[in-house]
Amino acid sequence: MSRPVLAAVLLSVLAVIGTLLLGRFGAYMMHAVAIAAIGALSLNLLTGFCGQINFAQAGLLGVGAYAAGLAGNAGWDLLALPVAGLAAVATAVLIGLPALRLRGLYFAIATLAAQFILEYLFKFAEPITHGVSGLLIKPMTVFGRPIQADQGYAIVAITLLLATFLVMHWLRRTDLGRSFLVVRENEVVAKGMGINVARTKMLAFMISGFFAGIAGGLIGFTARLAHPESFGMSLSVDYVAMIIVGGLGSMPGAVLGAGFITLLPEAIQRLGEIFHISDQLSALREMTFGLLIILFLIFEGRGLSAIGSRLVSARGWRTRQGGRAEPLELQKIKSSQGGLE
Amino acid sequence: MLMFTLQLLVAGIATGSVYALIALGIVLIYKCSGVVNFAQGAFVMLGAYLTYGLVKLGLPAYVALLGAMILMAGCGMASERLVLRPMMKAPLVAVMTVTLGMLILMKAVCLAIWGPDQLAFPRLFPDGAVDVFGIFVTYNYLAAFVLSICLSVGFLAFYQLTPIGLMQRCTADNPRAALAIGIHTSNQISLAWSMSAALAGIGGALLASLNGLSLGLADIGLVAFPVIVLGGLTSLTGALVAGLLLGVLQALTDGLLTPVAEQFLRTYTSIYSAGALQQVVPYALLVVVLLVRPEGIFGQRGTERL
Amino acid sequence: MKKLIAAALAAGLLGSARAADITVCIWGTITGPDALVNGMSYGPRDYFEFLNQTKGGIAGNKVKLLLLDGRYKLDEELKIYRRCVDQEQAVYVNGWSTGSVKALRDQITQDKVPFMTQSYASEVLDPQKLPYIFMAGPTYEQQMIIALRDLAKSGGKNLVIMHPDNEYGRGPVNVVRQSKVIEGNGLTLQDTIEFPYDAQDLTAQMLRVKAKNPDMVYVQASTPQLLVILRDAAKVGLSAKKFVGNIYNISPAIPEQLGANAEGFRAIQVYSDFGSDIPAMADIKAFEAKGNEIQKRDVYYMKGWFEGQVMAKAIEAAIAKNGGKVPDDIAAFRQSVRNEMEGLKDVDTGGIVPPASYANHQGSTQARMAEIKGGKYVPVGDWIDAR
Repeated sequence: MSRPVLAAVLLSVLAVIGTLLLGRFGAYMMHAVAIAAIGALSLNLLTGFCGQINFAQAGLLGVGAYAAGLAGNAGWDLLALPVAGLAAVATAVLIGLPALRLRGLYFAIATLAAQFILEYLFKFAEPITHGVSGLLIKPMTVFGRPIQADQGYAIVAITLLLATFLVMHWLRRTDLGRSFLVVRENEVVAKGMGINVARTKMLAFMISGFFAGIAGGLIGFTARLAHPESFGMSLSVDYVAMIIVGGLGSMPGAVLGAGFITLLPEAIQRLGEIFHISDQLSALREMTFGLLIILFLIFEGRGLSAIGSRLVSARGWRTRQGGRAEPLELQKIKSSQGGLE
Repeated sequence: MLMFTLQLLVAGIATGSVYALIALGIVLIYKCSGVVNFAQGAFVMLGAYLTYGLVKLGLPAYVALLGAMILMAGCGMASERLVLRPMMKAPLVAVMTVTLGMLILMKAVCLAIWGPDQLAFPRLFPDGAVDVFGIFVTYNYLAAFVLSICLSVGFLAFYQLTPIGLMQRCTADNPRAALAIGIHTSNQISLAWSMSAALAGIGGALLASLNGLSLGLADIGLVAFPVIVLGGLTSLTGALVAGLLLGVLQALTDGLLTPVAEQFLRTYTSIYSAGALQQVVPYALLVVVLLVRPEGIFGQRGTERL
Repeated sequence: MKKLIAAALAAGLLGSARAADITVCIWGTITGPDALVNGMSYGPRDYFEFLNQTKGGIAGNKVKLLLLDGRYKLDEELKIYRRCVDQEQAVYVNGWSTGSVKALRDQITQDKVPFMTQSYASEVLDPQKLPYIFMAGPTYEQQMIIALRDLAKSGGKNLVIMHPDNEYGRGPVNVVRQSKVIEGNGLTLQDTIEFPYDAQDLTAQMLRVKAKNPDMVYVQASTPQLLVILRDAAKVGLSAKKFVGNIYNISPAIPEQLGANAEGFRAIQVYSDFGSDIPAMADIKAFEAKGNEIQKRDVYYMKGWFEGQVMAKAIEAAIAKNGGKVPDDIAAFRQSVRNEMEGLKDVDTGGIVPPASYANHQGSTQARMAEIKGGKYVPVGDWIDAR
């Protein structure tokens, strides 16, 4: 086993042990982080590796939640999660077919449109989604046994996070994974190298969608309700923020970013309670969130992963690590019109 | 039925003209600095709140409006200088996200200062309406429409006819050439941001006088997005037309399409409500336009498509 | 990286204290789309605070209070619920949104924790299947029926219903429509108009209403939406007199912001208004005189105060049952509070509502209509039992 794989497995085991030690609330937070991390890894694959910005991540999570809910309620047991993944893949294909013909900015705006249309459909398609009431979901069952405790969900989520991490780690080393990077760097070059750009982007979107669907399924099972308002635009923004804050293109970064963005509101909440400013907490939370995004982007484009590796490295400043999942340099992708140099 | 439709048109055009004003700002920024500004909605909201705040301080409404515009211009410039300029070389996703960060931050600031509740916006225009052949046109509508159109046309004229406008166009067209002929391009970009923010600010005050003042005003930025893409990100006139179109489209969807759709659904399906159709129709249309003409209705052919 | 997360979590866990014996956990929409009516979350907090300051708490034990902001976001509310039940070991939880209470209803039963819901959705009211959930008045459906009966009595016939596109709006309207109670009262439902809950402009919808020319427009919406509705109704020349709203439309903001355009608007009133001449108001004034700030001076604050009263009564009775001591075992304490809650009979609420009993988990089911006259809500008619 290579070092990053070993590290990921060890950390997961630690996280599972930690979950068993923490109370129910702690387990809930842990599993929220793990789910967010799966979603962030999924988005990182599309945005960080392949360079396509997706504002419909929340919509894909929603599709996963509804699909898992329907399958779970019908007694499909563990199969509910792959079903959720496949449903999201199907959605990704539907979005991708028209949108992936567009490039850069226009792709982003097309996914924005997809996000709003999906949100609308969740509310509209009452026979399937139960509309604004939301779809009530029975507890998840594993080989026929329902999971009731939050600790149980946390362990499932951590296990799946590890699996996601390993799959993506492997994927990056395949030809397909490398072709994602080339497409991100320069579509013309990719074409020149004989890469089918449209197909590559579609595959990235589909794989990304699959993991988003699984994360969504987990959200549905733990909330026990798939609700249209839970999968709004602001959640998509949260996910973009996770991979930005974590460090675009870095897998440990995506996990760190997910943890950071998920735990930040709670941390501010607790701080606020200590200082008795609970009335302004919400504003404070949003302010910190906005400020952090801005500051990270201005001062540390490579995000937490860069800060992390700087801290880890005994040699102090080290902008590039050799070999392993190194944080990728932010690329200069200039929009085609009116940009300045 | 005809009266009903005309009445819808009046409402649609009034709101649409304000959308146009806001979309103008987005296009201006995009043309000049290549940034897609998600924070335009926040400028809209902030402009309205600043007007409100200045009126609360005792200024007469129109002075407050002017003051808010000036403050917004400053805010636009600050955004460019402090946030966007350091990110000039960052990738598209980073720039888009940083404007989202600005949106979140400004919303939070307004939340902290003015609270979450909807507020009564000071009356900029008298209540009441004129009756045109049985169609009522409220003074508010009339004022919003006239003011938006005057401002938009005035702005376009400024952009086309004055020396500063020329420099702006140069910068937008070809920044290197602009630099070469001695145009201080970064000043021009700052100027574009402040003009854009000021336009958004006044648009916000107008919208608030039509619809009341709340943090929800910031969401208009996401409504304006389909508009500008429909218009073509690079066309100022396109943004104007698309803005008007969107307003009309929303009013007609609310008034005509939704009842028909609901009739159909109630007869043939178990679904009873068509839901917020007016919020998705622009997006659905956007998808169609993107497919057929990604450069928008008025945009120039670009290279944004494979 | 997960170690960092675990460390952060652990820090968060250690940061919270568990000293108090009686913990009451309240979450509301302190900020968010429905913040205008959040007096109902400040109300119970202030009532318990009032007990702490004037009576030394309940049976000599100070009540530890938590007021958290769910922001009307489902995941936030689910998180807060776990914090209240697990970390804070609350004996009574008071929670906000219809969606969250529906999502949590089975877990509330599992956790056996008394729960006061701010939502009046009939789907969370079931003394048999959901024995731990209590609410503070008639359900939305019952409120709507009061208005329908009023319309029938006054000789009206045609009805239009308006509601936002969320659970709070669509749910109860569907229940009433499908129950055929509208036709049962000899009324015709001309149209149901749904609108986005964050809509800022409803002119086109009001034009639709105007074209139908109904005798009454029943609005199942919250105050922010009602502001938009009445403003745009005036814009198209519809009188506010035709509009009737529910409990969430009694807000000083309505006459304040709309002035003459709000005159004649009616809403269902379940609780006496803030400032009315009732004994409970004397307590509130006394509480304020001690230097406490009252964040919202409206009928929702009164609702919250009433919730505080009955919650405290149940806790007090449970402690009395245990020989005047707070039970050591939180599970037993919760169980006992629930039982006492259900046993509450004719509780004097200082005039906020008629004497309340909780065998039906609703407290009071009485309501009356109030009309805006001269910028103030004036009761027009007697208390009617909504059942």
